[in-house]
Amino acid sequence: MNIIHISDSWINTFEFSRNLSDDTNILNAFPLLSNEWQQDLEYAFLGYKNKAKTDKYFDRDNKLNWLEWIIYPWYDEKENVIGAIIQIENISKTIELEQKAEKLELLLNVKSEIAKIGSWEYNVITNKLTWCKMTKLIHEVPFDYCPSIEIALNFYKEGYYRNLARQRVEKAMKDGATWHEKFQLTTAKGNDIWVQASGKAIFNAGKLVGLIGSFQDITEEVKTQQKTKNNEVLLRTLIDNLPLNVFIKDLESRKTLVNKAECDYLGMSNDEIIGKDDFELFHKDSAEISIKEDQHIIQSLTPIIRKETINIKKDGTKTMFLTSKIPLLNEYLEPTAIVGFNLDITHLKEKEKELRRLVHITSLQNKKLINFAHIVSHNLRSHTANFSMLLGFLIKEKSNEERENLLHMLISESDNLLETIDNLNEVVEINTVQNQASKPIHINTTITKIKKSINSLLRHKKSKIKNLIDDSVYVNGIPSYVENILLNVISNAIKFEDPRKECAVEISAKKLKKYTVITIKDNGIGIDLEKNKTKIFGMYKTFHQHNDSRGIGLFISKNQIEAMKGKFVLRSKVDKGTTFNIYFKEND
Amino acid sequence: MINSIFIIDDDAITVFGIRKLLATVVSCTNITNFSNGKLAMEHFENLGNDNELPDIIFLDLNMPIMDGWEFLEAFIKLPIKQKITINIVTSSINSLDRDKSNTFKNRTHHKITYNTKPLNKDEIQNITNPVKQQH
Repeated sequence: MNIIHISDSWINTFEFSRNLSDDTNILNAFPLLSNEWQQDLEYAFLGYKNKAKTDKYFDRDNKLNWLEWIIYPWYDEKENVIGAIIQIENISKTIELEQKAEKLELLLNVKSEIAKIGSWEYNVITNKLTWCKMTKLIHEVPFDYCPSIEIALNFYKEGYYRNLARQRVEKAMKDGATWHEKFQLTTAKGNDIWVQASGKAIFNAGKLVGLIGSFQDITEEVKTQQKTKNNEVLLRTLIDNLPLNVFIKDLESRKTLVNKAECDYLGMSNDEIIGKDDFELFHKDSAEISIKEDQHIIQSLTPIIRKETINIKKDGTKTMFLTSKIPLLNEYLEPTAIVGFNLDITHLKEKEKELRRLVHITSLQNKKLINFAHIVSHNLRSHTANFSMLLGFLIKEKSNEERENLLHMLISESDNLLETIDNLNEVVEINTVQNQASKPIHINTTITKIKKSINSLLRHKKSKIKNLIDDSVYVNGIPSYVENILLNVISNAIKFEDPRKECAVEISAKKLKKYTVITIKDNGIGIDLEKNKTKIFGMYKTFHQHNDSRGIGLFISKNQIEAMKGKFVLRSKVDKGTTFNIYFKEND
Repeated sequence: MINSIFIIDDDAITVFGIRKLLATVVSCTNITNFSNGKLAMEHFENLGNDNELPDIIFLDLNMPIMDGWEFLEAFIKLPIKQKITINIVTSSINSLDRDKSNTFKNRTHHKITYNTKPLNKDEIQNITNPVKQQH
């Protein structure tokens, strides 16, 4: 079995053959060759044709190579066997591909089991439909089940999905269209399932030979999706019907979700709001505060709960909210967003403000009443104390002259009491007789009248009254009150002149919001307002040594101006003078 | 012996009454009255020596110009070493006034007492007797 010839391609392919020379025994040259070689060689010498066989070897790079070998008998012209021809082909590439295909198939099987993907094949020529194991599992049929195309189509849920499946198959067979969509099936056991089904036609040389396709059981997925969708609908319905503004912001304070109330409040659609931050949605003053809060929440992870806030929209509309903002955390407890709830409490706040105002008025009135009660009791008591004392003396007094004296004092005290009661009664009347006819009063007419009535005082003090009020000025009020107030204030200005200066009183008028303000300014002795602020308008409080100071004028006047919903505002400096502003409320 | 008594009250009848009651219990003839706190303060500020200080002051609360409280406030600041009995006499029965008078007790070495009008003979004696015994 000596080698007679080695082809060049043999030498090129199998480098180890380079050193081989003719006449070498082949079995010696390749000692590792299997017995099959010797057998096949012997067969060939006998004139038999051998089948191709494969073998493997490692080359110098230690790389696995596959080869296919076949040994033919070698004939002379007379068809006598004179030797054997060994033909070897390197089939490493082919083997590799085959292995790859095998691997892929294995992988596919594993994957199809995990992903619950089944496949099917329909041969048009034999009209035979083949389902793989998984497809059978999906259809809940036994593994020996043999479907037909008609039976297979009947697994699709009757109605829409069955019609759709039929259409898809027909269209694929007609013009090679593929499909990939969701279908509902009813399994052999009667379970409704969802599948993702795909299919395509196979053509060989332009002729339809069959269809192939796959099934994936996506029931769980669809159910989960449905559940998620239901939850979303529930959530939406809930948040859209809450009497709260609900929103979610990302870490840059951009809105990622808003409910209907928030849309209505902003007067914008959902799409217009999403993605915008507070600076784009609100007035910058409120945006600044709100974004600062957001940053604090993100950094500290502390929520804001029921905080009273004021939101100002771009158009300047203010809304009072009870705001809660909560950081939304992921599984690593990192903030991912801020959930916010705003409850509009503008109405509540307004009501609260109104309530506070009423409570304030009530408490003022209450204070005034208590004060008045004290005034009454004090005044009555001081008179009765004197009566009691004088009567005590009178009983024991023996001297007629002294008794006479005591009786005079009693009469004088009785007169004082009557006067006090009259004064108190006047105050009660001012405070109780409501809705007395209020009418426009020409202020200059009143001032002229007052000037006339205090003419002797003016002449005595050599005072000058300078009236700057325009003849068109009217105030609204009760004429007798207005007259009394002006009389009191003007005569006070004159009475408390500074003897070192020439007395000058200036009267002026101006409009101030809902008031007409009459100002009486003097250059008199003034008063320390800080020290006397609680006493200025008290009953029987006087500040200066004057025989005609009775301490009742301003007390009555104050009650009168308040009965007309007006007020007094004073400015004064000792030795400089007093500016007395009388606020007359204008008609609403 | 009581040398001098001041009555600070704007009500003439009260002044008359106090004087009349005093005449029945003490022999003091040096009784001065002021119709408000300011006049009394001016008097104190112009005093030549301590001999002219009163032993007892009857002080009304509700007075024009400078009321009893303002007078007390100013008086306790005066550098007077002698202990003077200041008896507040008021027609007020408001308990707040009595409470307020108590707050002055801790702020001064002077003796502060409180009576409501009308004063009677017993009350005057209660005020004057301790002073008489001091001398």
